[in-house]
Amino acid sequence: MKKAIPYLRRTIQALSFFFLLYLILKTAFPLELKIPVDLYLRLDPFIGIITFLTKKEVILRMLPAFGVLLVVIIFGNFFCGWFCPMGATIDFFDRILFREKKGFKSFNDQSLRRLRYGIFMFSLVAGLMAFQVMYILDPISLITRTLIIAFYPPAIFVFNHFLPQMQHFLPQNSLIASTIPMPLFKVNLLIFLFFVIVLALGVIRKRFWCRYLCPLGTLFSFVSRVRILKRFVTEDCTHCLKCVKDCPVGAIPETNPQEYRQQDCVSCFKCLECPPEAVSFHFGLPRWRTVSGVNLSRRYVLGSLAFGAVSALMIKANPLQSESGLKNNRLIRPPGSLPEEEFVSVCTGCGECLKVCPNNALQSTLLEAGLAGLYTPRLVPRIGYCEEFCNFCGRICPTEAIRPLPIEEKRLLQMGIAHIDKTRCIAWDTEKICLVCNEQCSSQAIIGDDKKRPIIKEEKCTGCGICENKCPVDGESAIIVYASGVQKKLKPEDLNNNKNEVPPSPPRKEKS
Amino acid sequence: MDHLKSRKITRRQFIKGTAVALPLLSSKLPFYGSLAHAAEESDLVIAKNGSASQLLQAAMAPLGGMGRFIKKGQRVVIKANIAWARTPDQACTNNPDLLAALIKMCYDTGAKRVAVWDHTCDNYQFCFSRSGLKETAQKAGADIFSGHGRNSYKQVEVQKGKKVKTVEILRDVLESDVFINFPIPKQHFATELTLGMKNLIGIVWDMEQLHKIGLHQAIADINTIRKTDLVVMDAIRILTTNGPKGPGKTEDIGEVIASTDIVAADAYAAAFFKHPKTGIPFKPEEIQFVKNAYDLGLGQINLSKVRVKKVTAA
Repeated sequence: MKKAIPYLRRTIQALSFFFLLYLILKTAFPLELKIPVDLYLRLDPFIGIITFLTKKEVILRMLPAFGVLLVVIIFGNFFCGWFCPMGATIDFFDRILFREKKGFKSFNDQSLRRLRYGIFMFSLVAGLMAFQVMYILDPISLITRTLIIAFYPPAIFVFNHFLPQMQHFLPQNSLIASTIPMPLFKVNLLIFLFFVIVLALGVIRKRFWCRYLCPLGTLFSFVSRVRILKRFVTEDCTHCLKCVKDCPVGAIPETNPQEYRQQDCVSCFKCLECPPEAVSFHFGLPRWRTVSGVNLSRRYVLGSLAFGAVSALMIKANPLQSESGLKNNRLIRPPGSLPEEEFVSVCTGCGECLKVCPNNALQSTLLEAGLAGLYTPRLVPRIGYCEEFCNFCGRICPTEAIRPLPIEEKRLLQMGIAHIDKTRCIAWDTEKICLVCNEQCSSQAIIGDDKKRPIIKEEKCTGCGICENKCPVDGESAIIVYASGVQKKLKPEDLNNNKNEVPPSPPRKEKS
Repeated sequence: MDHLKSRKITRRQFIKGTAVALPLLSSKLPFYGSLAHAAEESDLVIAKNGSASQLLQAAMAPLGGMGRFIKKGQRVVIKANIAWARTPDQACTNNPDLLAALIKMCYDTGAKRVAVWDHTCDNYQFCFSRSGLKETAQKAGADIFSGHGRNSYKQVEVQKGKKVKTVEILRDVLESDVFINFPIPKQHFATELTLGMKNLIGIVWDMEQLHKIGLHQAIADINTIRKTDLVVMDAIRILTTNGPKGPGKTEDIGEVIASTDIVAADAYAAAFFKHPKTGIPFKPEEIQFVKNAYDLGLGQINLSKVRVKKVTAA
């Protein structure tokens, strides 16, 4: 029984990881899954707390996350050891790549262990000041983002590459399977690099990320100090230190293996493999006291808090948005997004909206929205346009940074306004008939004049970008959508209105 | 030896003999002959009044029935118009009832497989679901495909093309035995009208690039690649403003036009629409791509030279 526990745990970890993968793959067109596809993110209390601080109100979708905290009080930090898909990934790579040698001597990590408390306090203060760059360290957001942005496009590439070769072996025309348009994400290399670094830290120490950096783990640590399911060691202990070596998070001090740091324990139950069978877990009264905890001196706490506050101010005051340092008018937010300041402080950059967007229109920012808006979504019409009858990004956003609007409301929302570059437009620049933009426009915002050249009606343009996307001009489009600043609702269209009726030009005054 | 040799029938003799014998034989089989030829009394049939399937039946009969086009076990490709994510009543996409009737007729005639294709302009998933055509096609037993994957295309040279020299065309269209063009007439600002020939833009990979080349000639050029065996024009309800995407004003014409001549079908359908400036119904010559196609010898633009028949369905 006791020997089966590590296998059980590994199986559950793998299942949890593949369930996340399944949910990500299901974050696509029909979106008819009964369970929310962003389930893991909704269960993340770190996101729950920080969004509560930045937005100053509880987000309904994030409520289940606080339930997880209650479970942690009972079973301790079971999430990290059993369910965290990031933890599962790290465990897997630690196991196959960084096996510790027999004579391995652990170093004293007393000073390193308080690093994550510092990061956590930094995040809290920054969150209070409505700044959230720490989301890049949230493990659930991190693994979702990495899978979507860094690993999904290569997977599609492989599929597209092998599909025609597979079809050679199949009887002709029996099955027509289409290749999938390649999803493009500019920041994928950076995100992949970050992920590799996180995994490579395992060479220093197993689960380096979880022990010393992860802010979600830190939050669980705080709560699991008062855990009810506790570890007990009887007098039979022979000080063989097997449990000390085996513990994946180093929660058992070498000097005193009968004790353990309950806040660091991830309830993996590996220490039950005790030669004299001295270890057992059962329920007991919670206690706050712990052994050899981290030394959070007043100096360290105040330092972290002050550093968080100053950093938040610095980053907020930094004009990285565009070359001029002023407003970036090519930064179009997804339909239904909160106002920019609020949006940036609530968006976790998980990438779910990037995956669900049927046209690959949503892209992750790097510095286009400033450092505070790292990895937030933006609409890049030349890559993909916003589909008229789609509101998926709002429906799956775990923190409601993109509000869930009904389709009728969403399709009348103005995100930006298109402008024509008349020097490059085929119809304006040459005598050819083009008008792709007029043909594709969903809201009759592009009319043609008497020479069949496009003209934009700003009051009808939603900024969906289909014109910019389909423009046949090479390279950059000849019709470009600029953000309208604040998203506003347009008047519903009048079906009897003919978009191609040219308003009568005012009568010219005769020269007298 | 010589004697024996002369008894043998040479290839030339055999062909000569069969050429003489075949008409004689077929005239002795009146049933077989009438099914194959006698009913082909028109090139363009206009059916009015009736439900979608009645209209289709009525329009096909004077052409010689579907049996004239589809032989048993053949593969059929229908190029429908599912380009936009619009509902059927907005008349921007094909009538679902008519598509169902068309697919059923193909299978009843003995088609082995019917595939409905379109390279949509909006995202294909939304087009297929909102137009209701995916459900319709699948219920009728046909496969429905979208041309969003480049592996579905094959690069071909357009030998007769004046402006388009090479283009990527849906492979299934090229490889199919029978190709049915199933357009819906709509107003279109750039080319005045979207008719049967314009519908074939949806078998091309780089659709938008054709606008750069010169749309009217490109439409005519594309139509030289794969001859449309049969045009079934869905004019039950047409879009008269804000085309081709709509939504705009619609008009219930209540007609289904079946033809073997795509230019003639387009020439007829052009008159559904009024010229925006003069208010007079379009003449076929006023639609540049119809004119260009006629010049390329794709069909007859002058309806007086085509055997036209008007029938009532119910």
